[in-house]
Amino acid sequence: MEAVLALGIGVLAGSGVWLILRPRTFQVIVGLSLLSYAVNLFIVAMGRIRTDAAPILVSRAAGDPAQYADPVPQALVLTAIVISFATTALFLVVLLVSRGLTGTDHVDGREPES
Amino acid sequence: MATSAGLLAFLILLPFVGSVAAAFFPANARNAEAYLAGGIALVALAVTVSMYDGVVGGGVIRYDLAWAPDIGLNFQIRMDGFAWLFSAMLTGIGFLVVLYARYYMSPNDPVPRFFSFLLAFMGAMLGIVLSGNLIQLVFFWELTSLFSFLLIGYWSHNAQAREGARMALIVTSAGGLCLFAGVLVIGHIVGSYDLDRVLAAGDVIRRHSLYVPALVLILLGALTKSAQFPFHFWLPHAMAAPTPVSAYLHSATMVKAGVFLLIRLWPALGGTHEWLVFVATAGLVTFILGAFIALFQQDLKGLLAYSTISHLGLTTLLIGLDTPLGLVAATFHIMNHATFKASLFMAAGIIDHETGTRDIRRLSGLRRYMPITAVLAMVAAAAMAGVPLLNGFLSKEMFFAETIEIHDNSYLDRALPYIVTVASMLTVAYSFRFIRDVFFGPPPTDLPHMPHEPPFLMRFPAGLLVFLCVIVGVIPGLTVGPLLATALHSVLGPELPKYSLAIWHGFTPEFLMSIVAIAGGVALYFLLRSYLLVCDGPPLLGRIKGQRLFELVLVAVSFRFARRLERRLGTRRLQPQLQLLVCAALVAGFAPVVMRGTGSPVPVSTAFDVTFAIIWAVAIACALAVAYQAKFHRLFALILLGGAGLLVCVSFVWLSAPDLALTQLIVETVTTVLLLLGLRWLPKRFQSPEKSTFASIVFRWYRIRDFALAVAAGAGLAALAYLVMTRQRPDGIGGYFAENAYTQGGGTNIINVILVDFRAFDTFGEITVLGVVAITVFALLRRFRPAPESIPLPEQQLAQNSYDIAHPDRSKGDTVRGAMATPSLMMTLLFPVIGMTALYLLLRGHDLPGGGFVAGITMAVAFIVQYMAHGTTFVEERLRILPVRWMGWGLLLAAGCGAGAFVFGRPFLKSAYFYIEVPVIGSVPVASALVFDLGVFALVIGATILMLIAIAHQSVRSQRAPGSRTAPVASPSAEVV
Amino acid sequence: MSRLSDHLIVAPILLPLVAGALMLALGGERRRSVNAAINVIVTFALVAIAVVLLCAADAAPSGVAGVYRLGDWAPPFGIVLVADRLAAMMLLLTSLLASAAIIFALARWHRVGVLFHPLFQFLLMGINGAFLTGDLFNLFVFIEVLLAASYGLALHGGGSPRVSAGLHYIVVNLAASLLFLIGVSLIYGVAGTLNMADLAARIPAIPAEDRGLLEAGAGILGIAFLVKAGMWPLCFWLPPTYAAAAAPVAALFAVLTKVGAYIVIRLWPLLFGDGAGASAHFGGEWLLLGGMATILFGAIGSLASQDMPRLAAYSVLVSSGTLLAAVGLGQTGVTSAALFYLISSTLGLSAFFLLIELVERGREPGADVFAVTRELYGDDVDEETLTEVGIAVPVTLALLGLAFIFCALIIAGLPPLSGFVAKFALLGAALNGSAGTISVAAWAFLTILILSGFAALIALTRAGINVFWASADRTVPRVTLIEMVPVVFLIMLCAVQTIEAGPIMRYMQATAQSLHAPQDYIRGVLGPAAVPAEQVR
Repeated sequence: MEAVLALGIGVLAGSGVWLILRPRTFQVIVGLSLLSYAVNLFIVAMGRIRTDAAPILVSRAAGDPAQYADPVPQALVLTAIVISFATTALFLVVLLVSRGLTGTDHVDGREPES
Repeated sequence: MATSAGLLAFLILLPFVGSVAAAFFPANARNAEAYLAGGIALVALAVTVSMYDGVVGGGVIRYDLAWAPDIGLNFQIRMDGFAWLFSAMLTGIGFLVVLYARYYMSPNDPVPRFFSFLLAFMGAMLGIVLSGNLIQLVFFWELTSLFSFLLIGYWSHNAQAREGARMALIVTSAGGLCLFAGVLVIGHIVGSYDLDRVLAAGDVIRRHSLYVPALVLILLGALTKSAQFPFHFWLPHAMAAPTPVSAYLHSATMVKAGVFLLIRLWPALGGTHEWLVFVATAGLVTFILGAFIALFQQDLKGLLAYSTISHLGLTTLLIGLDTPLGLVAATFHIMNHATFKASLFMAAGIIDHETGTRDIRRLSGLRRYMPITAVLAMVAAAAMAGVPLLNGFLSKEMFFAETIEIHDNSYLDRALPYIVTVASMLTVAYSFRFIRDVFFGPPPTDLPHMPHEPPFLMRFPAGLLVFLCVIVGVIPGLTVGPLLATALHSVLGPELPKYSLAIWHGFTPEFLMSIVAIAGGVALYFLLRSYLLVCDGPPLLGRIKGQRLFELVLVAVSFRFARRLERRLGTRRLQPQLQLLVCAALVAGFAPVVMRGTGSPVPVSTAFDVTFAIIWAVAIACALAVAYQAKFHRLFALILLGGAGLLVCVSFVWLSAPDLALTQLIVETVTTVLLLLGLRWLPKRFQSPEKSTFASIVFRWYRIRDFALAVAAGAGLAALAYLVMTRQRPDGIGGYFAENAYTQGGGTNIINVILVDFRAFDTFGEITVLGVVAITVFALLRRFRPAPESIPLPEQQLAQNSYDIAHPDRSKGDTVRGAMATPSLMMTLLFPVIGMTALYLLLRGHDLPGGGFVAGITMAVAFIVQYMAHGTTFVEERLRILPVRWMGWGLLLAAGCGAGAFVFGRPFLKSAYFYIEVPVIGSVPVASALVFDLGVFALVIGATILMLIAIAHQSVRSQRAPGSRTAPVASPSAEVV
Repeated sequence: MSRLSDHLIVAPILLPLVAGALMLALGGERRRSVNAAINVIVTFALVAIAVVLLCAADAAPSGVAGVYRLGDWAPPFGIVLVADRLAAMMLLLTSLLASAAIIFALARWHRVGVLFHPLFQFLLMGINGAFLTGDLFNLFVFIEVLLAASYGLALHGGGSPRVSAGLHYIVVNLAASLLFLIGVSLIYGVAGTLNMADLAARIPAIPAEDRGLLEAGAGILGIAFLVKAGMWPLCFWLPPTYAAAAAPVAALFAVLTKVGAYIVIRLWPLLFGDGAGASAHFGGEWLLLGGMATILFGAIGSLASQDMPRLAAYSVLVSSGTLLAAVGLGQTGVTSAALFYLISSTLGLSAFFLLIELVERGREPGADVFAVTRELYGDDVDEETLTEVGIAVPVTLALLGLAFIFCALIIAGLPPLSGFVAKFALLGAALNGSAGTISVAAWAFLTILILSGFAALIALTRAGINVFWASADRTVPRVTLIEMVPVVFLIMLCAVQTIEAGPIMRYMQATAQSLHAPQDYIRGVLGPAAVPAEQVR
């Protein structure tokens, strides 16, 4: 399954990179969202993948690590999700303001000559 | 000795203190300033004189102060005979210059600045000559450059002053930087910057492989400062300074710093062939060139400036000849030149002051009007020319004698006596011209004002100096003899070479040379006279204007070229930056893996799963479609993006990360809504048919490149992920949490326990980010001005409204209301349901997927739904939440919960917990973590709502004030704080 | 963990947070004066705290004032804050800059946009957190905090140039943050820990086939830091952003690039020092080369820039380039000099940013463009009547001019202020690093540093002459006292640094030694048994 997941991460990241290299702000913001998906999955992957091993203790006692997926990456991802949500919102607003001020949605705030 | 050591520190400090004091005088306090500055100079002189006993016979007075000893930087003041000589000159001439300046500067000149800089310069100069540490010497060296810059530019409203000042600064401080580098190299060789140790280590230095680089660097410093060819051009332009400055800095003191350094370091660096070649050549060329150009100057100060250059060249040549006798002559000539040149500058200043011009062509016959000044100037000029019975003659004769000696016996060396004789003719010629053209001849005609003698005290300084010229010239042995001996003793050691300070040595060759020079010079003058009166600038060199050349080069290199480079090496566009970033990341990521290689992967742990594969097939399709469509079909792309997001959620479930799935799902929802709200403000874009112009080809090439980058990046990340996933998992910190989540953290949902307890500090930062972003968004949008074309309502609404208006039975907006009636009812009903869900998620978070963040954002969704149902105005009217305050309180709550631990003397965020049974919900963990989660909850609601309002509110605003970009539009602040 | 003084380590983070939260809770912009009061008090309090921590760290034999276990979880499982010499020093620097900036802002800048004060405090929280934390991911979080706040502040005051520059700033940093995440998680995936000290302890034992991945992670992480440190060619977002930012904001931003540099100085010797086994000195030459390239680019840019804000922004690049190159040399002596330089250049630059705004006030925009053309064609001297009487300079202008000269001297590394001492320390250490002869790297470093100083001198002279001399009849800017005080204050600090060079240098050397021989740090964090054998020399 690792191969599939890796492939998926790769495609998400690739599309994301492609988009952030585009000249329009909207493309960039979409690209960043795709990239953050890819990165979140990547982080989870760094804990090696486990199925049916949700890190929720079955009994109210000390759990056996072997039974559960590595919780740390998941915790990191949760933080990462929140932060990327925030920054996406911020970037959205900035691009709107820039669009309002400069009248264009080009990332450089002016249409390229030629 | 201790007292005189203390005096030494006092000597350096005094001028700086005086400079600071001088700055605070009122602008018109000419006399007070003069008294202060003069007094300080006198005191300094007295102190210096009083120290003579300490230095005579090779004595050295020291004052050491540890500054930064760890890096070999100490404040070491060190006075020996040589330094004594210079400090005596500095302070003595300094005093005379101050006196002179008192009368020279116009009464309504704001002199505080002037005297302040002058004193500071004196201090810096003393610092150079008294430095016992090379770095300290460089320190003061650069300071003199700085103050000379300020003094030259004193009349900053004159363009000449500005240009001259900048040129002087750039040239000399560039030299200073070279000197700095050279000194560092010397320090590297010797292992210390202490002057004594460096002077003692001469042999080590000369034998070291780095000797030549060090020598060259130091010479660059010395030669620029002493205006030696090819760096001489700055000095004439420095004459834009007030004449006292020219007299002090640019004839007597600062320009002597270079030759001072050469003599100072001669024991360490001299005595090699390189020294002879570099120094002597520079000196010789400068000597001739300066004299030649000086002859053709029409400006008195210009003539004196080039003559200064020439005499400095002479001195440098003597030093370069690299013999003890040469040094004797050099030192002697430095003293003599200081006296007669300073007095000449003062005379020139007086003439300028009294007649209003310095143009030799307009001046003539002045001896009738100012006989005394005339006499003084003539005697000084004669000394400059090297006429017997004057000090100039003596050093000149020593110089001739030295040139006759054999050094490296090259052709140049053998030709040297003849060359210098010819050059001396030039010297005599311009000196003679100075006398003849200015003071003799018919009475002057068109002078700005009628010349007359200046006040006595203005003449006095020049008079005193000229007097010195005479007595030194007549009875050298009794006057300067001992001082010279003392000075040289500290450079050459106890056994001085044989030299005699007498007026008459018989008919020696050097005497003959003097006579020839004088006769030839006078003859030369009469030969060229007629030409001299009409020419401007010397022949051959006349066209080359140093300044313009310098400016051109400076601008070309330091601006034009730099700007082109900056354009080439930098960019102001975003895409190249991101491309570079991607490239850098690719290199950083690939290089190590490729170089180190990777071991064999362990057998894949999880079996192939069809459903998962299918899910990902769809997800990949979505991603590609997004990438393809994002430009022209934004909405479509957005929907697909949501699709990809959902599939990511699903795979989170599959990857046994329920919390992530839950959070991702809801965040996804909110993000999509935000983006939808944003879409409305973006410009319409329609796919235009591909034009096969050159531009489009270029763009295609860009696309190909970007595509390659994208593929590489994707492949790279995929490869890294795969490699790691197929590695043995390190026994990291992961296991610990499963073991202690419940026993220590009191929750069964490990993730949540980590978030609110083990790594609660991260969560803390994370919610802060959210809050900060929210207020940033709010602050940004208060001044939001939509682009004009996106202000009117969307077509759809316009169409509906026009339809409503067209039908009399309907009123505007009915269609919308009708269409929304049912959904809005349902959504309204949904509100409490979602609310309850949020609360549930919050409470159970510690044990099952959920938690403050999810709960908060779920709650926000409830509000979003209301927005969709009833529109912005409706919600904003009913909204009972003040988001900013909620955020504040949320943060405070979380912080307070964390800080509660202080009370129990535990570190921040230490949690405590217990369980209580609540009907329906079951046993609820009441951990302090729950309070923390409450804080998170509050903040997230506040932040999300604030952002929503801020963005959604714009639609209202743009209709309220259609098109009026200037009219003050309502800000959401009213509703949110 | 019983005395309240033990909690001092977390205060630099907690205090600004609470202050900011309080401002919001009070209604954000409703009571600006209250916010201002809170802001000033807290900022000054931070200075005091930093001083205490600094003294404590310097007094402690290990150089670590204390290790603060958040939530009382033992490292490497929980997050720890470590207040060692370096961290304490950076805290002090930040709080001093902040004090100057906030006082300056009170005059007018905090009124040109909303919520300046909370953002200011959150920025401080982020910066301090980044300096204190001993956990890689926590570092990420705090960097996000400071970035988020810096976005807000960079856009403070609005206007098209700020927004356009801010857009680039945001996009580039978002991308960099994603790289940061990739790097951190990759390292976790290979080494299985997030705690810096623990990581340093584990790296020597990483199996050979995983080293590639580990270094890949470190490399990607490094790129993220270098973007923030502004290393060429990843620094093009910096000049526009800094040049456009409001004066007090720019003054505080002067330390932001130093955060990136700080992380490099902190992590590189710790993770890839001599003790790192096969990975020792990984990427050092890249730091050196990149740093030098940055110096050159910064110097060129400052020569090419026609207005002072850009000039200042490019000088920021020069300064961080110098730091990176110096660290890249990897010698204890150079590193200590670099730390000294860090303080000096940051103070000087931030004073310069404040000063520029005051100077520019009295002038019509676009006056600078003529500077160079005047230089090229010269003023028409002939027509100009050479009045040889000076003109009295108004006190304000004289003060500004004096301040300008001092800033210029600090930035160009000329005497008499700390800039010269710093430059001398750097070069002296670099040349004497290798006994006998001078290494090529040292020669290059020497040349580039001297050249950059010269370039700075030319550029600053041009700007200064143009502003203060060429336009003699300019209108005198209206400058209030509380705007002048911060500038003078910062310059005074540089003067103090010059006079007290001895003790300060000693502190820096102690810092550099513990950076290059991190056993004490590791032991301090993980406890005595933590340092593996091969790392103890």
